Amino acid sequence: MLKQFQKFGSDLFYRGLTSSHGGNMSIRMGDRIIITRTGSMLAHLEENDLIEIGLEEDDSNIMLASSELVVHREIYLNTSALAIVHVHPPFAVALSMTVEDSIIPIDSEGSYLFRKVPVVQTEATVGSKDVAKIAGEILREYKIFMLRGHGCFSIGPVLEEAFQWCSSLEESSKIYHYTRTLQAAQATISEKGLGELEYRKHTEDYDVW
Amino acid sequence: MNGWTKKMLRVDLSDGSTSIEEIDEEILQKYLGGRGLGAYLVYTEVPPDTDPLGPDNILAFCNGAMTGVAVPTGGRSSLSTLSPLTGTIFDANTGSQFGVRLKWAGFDALVIKGISPTPVWLEISDSGAEIHPADELWGKEIPGTVAALKERGTATVSIGPAGENKVLFASIADEKGRSYGRGGVGAVMGSKNLKAILARGKQKPGIADQDIFKFVNYEAGKMVTASPRTSEGLPEFGTSVLVNLMSWYGVFPSRNFQRGKFENAEKISGERLRDEYLIKRGACWSCPIGCKRVTKTKTGKGEGPEYETIYALGSSLDIDDFDTIIDANYLCNRLGMDTISCGATIACAMELKERGKLDTELAFGRADLLLKTVEDIACRRGLGDEIAEGSKRLSARYDMPEVSMQVKGLEFPAYDPRGMQGQGLLYATSNRGACHLRGNMLGPELLGAPKMLDRHAPSGKAGILIVMQHTNAVIDSIGMCKFVNFAIGDDFFARLMTSVTGVKYETQDLQLAGERIWNLERLYNLRAGFTREDDNLPPRFTEEPLKEGSSAGHVVHLDEMLEEYYRFRSWSEDGVPSQKKLKALGLDTLEMEQADA
Repeated sequence: MLKQFQKFGSDLFYRGLTSSHGGNMSIRMGDRIIITRTGSMLAHLEENDLIEIGLEEDDSNIMLASSELVVHREIYLNTSALAIVHVHPPFAVALSMTVEDSIIPIDSEGSYLFRKVPVVQTEATVGSKDVAKIAGEILREYKIFMLRGHGCFSIGPVLEEAFQWCSSLEESSKIYHYTRTLQAAQATISEKGLGELEYRKHTEDYDVW
Repeated sequence: MNGWTKKMLRVDLSDGSTSIEEIDEEILQKYLGGRGLGAYLVYTEVPPDTDPLGPDNILAFCNGAMTGVAVPTGGRSSLSTLSPLTGTIFDANTGSQFGVRLKWAGFDALVIKGISPTPVWLEISDSGAEIHPADELWGKEIPGTVAALKERGTATVSIGPAGENKVLFASIADEKGRSYGRGGVGAVMGSKNLKAILARGKQKPGIADQDIFKFVNYEAGKMVTASPRTSEGLPEFGTSVLVNLMSWYGVFPSRNFQRGKFENAEKISGERLRDEYLIKRGACWSCPIGCKRVTKTKTGKGEGPEYETIYALGSSLDIDDFDTIIDANYLCNRLGMDTISCGATIACAMELKERGKLDTELAFGRADLLLKTVEDIACRRGLGDEIAEGSKRLSARYDMPEVSMQVKGLEFPAYDPRGMQGQGLLYATSNRGACHLRGNMLGPELLGAPKMLDRHAPSGKAGILIVMQHTNAVIDSIGMCKFVNFAIGDDFFARLMTSVTGVKYETQDLQLAGERIWNLERLYNLRAGFTREDDNLPPRFTEEPLKEGSSAGHVVHLDEMLEEYYRFRSWSEDGVPSQKKLKALGLDTLEMEQADA
């Protein structure tokens, strides 16, 4: 189990899906949850960084568990999820602040996988009971959602699948960003012509080469 | 003035005089209030050779700029004195409403000296202090005393029979048991024939910049809510949440620290307290955490027990009868005694018995004798009279000092330092003796707050401990609770101080103030005759490895850490602050004045 956490924790960080101390993961095992320790580094998880705690009931380990435990619990109690990943993928987070209530991927893979990723917002975003309530409801219908300006929560039957949704959402968000940026640039070119934007002489002539 | 009131109320019980003085603004800015102001007052007014139980010792109740201000945990106040238990400068800290009401009466400090010829109690209002006869209160337990004064106001602290009998670990507390707990401050109050103090101020202090204050306070509240420690662990279990955790780490002491493991920890755990004894949660004034427990046993009801009490009156005595432990806690609260020193000294007596030095039926595991023993201590009856002197004196009396688990005379709290190297250094260097509240090494060594360090590594611990010691001195001085430090740090404290007082504080200003307070306390102790030899631990911790549990095989590598600690502090090899350091802290002139005096 530790190896699984280490593998995906390392991938989440080195693929730029979260910062050095950001994000958390958990799995459900019956009436217990194994969740990463608060403040742990996902890329460098050790045995002491995996905290076992009750699905519904607190015990002493509440002092060590991730601050997002409240959200993980609510998700497990309301969905069929057995694994949860929460990270702060930068392109997806940035995109979440430019859309109204959902990210709709424009790439083929993202469209196939998600069709739509809901975006929600609350006043408190860390360890928040409001977020927990929304997460428990929204993940009954979706496998991933974005908390505006914060990050995503994704679910799966195993960690790998929850990891996949985060990774794919970030890729779709990058494609969205690059596409829209290039389209904006293209619009400027159409309007002003390449001459004003290019650095070379004979810019207009190259297309006849 | 915003935050501080700049006023100090003085009472001399020998002649019954009272006066109100202005406090120099520079002193408040440099020492922050609370513990820092108290340290300054004891340093400048109480020569170290003063009899702690004589008329020249003072009780300096000091508030911080945040005391009585509606910030998260802004209900803390401090009490400084020369301790009769340790002989060191000493401060005790509480979340009782008393400090808040003293502040609202318009006082940053209440300084009491002298000895009244007859028992008295004090009534504090915005017009000053009135001294009333207390003959009818003398002999009462604390709840009875507070109840008798209820018509005059509700924010009362009092001593119980233990303070009257000058038990060297007697406390001063309110009716709920929220105490100025350690170091025998209650014995000092008892020695002055002062039974109780009631404060009934109503005027809340001003805020310099309301807009910034509201925003910083709002953000602080968010942080408290976001941290599972402050929003779930402590509210749900209280400090007893630590029983199972510390047991798992192999640092939960039993049998007077002969072991770092207690097989029956589950029976006295926070989980069991919640499930079988808890009636409701309680909180100090303006505290969103609410770690207090209102509990009920078969025969009693009250607040507590705290984690430290569960160790001191439970595992350390090899007692797992939770009802008896909790009842003993209630009893200590009513009689007015520090549960840690009380339990730890009983444990010392039990080990003396085990080693054939003491002829008594008191022995490890004898839950049936615990309540009677506690009463005997408070009333100084039989062996209780010897235990009332604390473990250092008790063990010396029987020529076995090594079984006294104390530093500088103050008994240990509930973390075996063999599993936490930095905690060991913390205990050894603490200015008031073995104390877990002088710096938070529990956070970085076991809880990962702010970051997880290797708990068994001695190297480098001195550096982080020094910062922790300063931060805790700051928290004690501004009038907030250390638990809030699980959620917010120095940057928040600096912004709150700036917005409340109008004096610009940055993080490094507060660290410097913390360092100034720490060094001032050190200077006092050096003048009192404490040396490097006193920055030490009982040999059990440095020579006897733990035999079982997850800290098995470890001892504290104190010498290595202490050498680093002195060097990092710019102290000499003997632990004396350099003149350069004192000058940088603005303490050089003060130190010379006292040396001349």
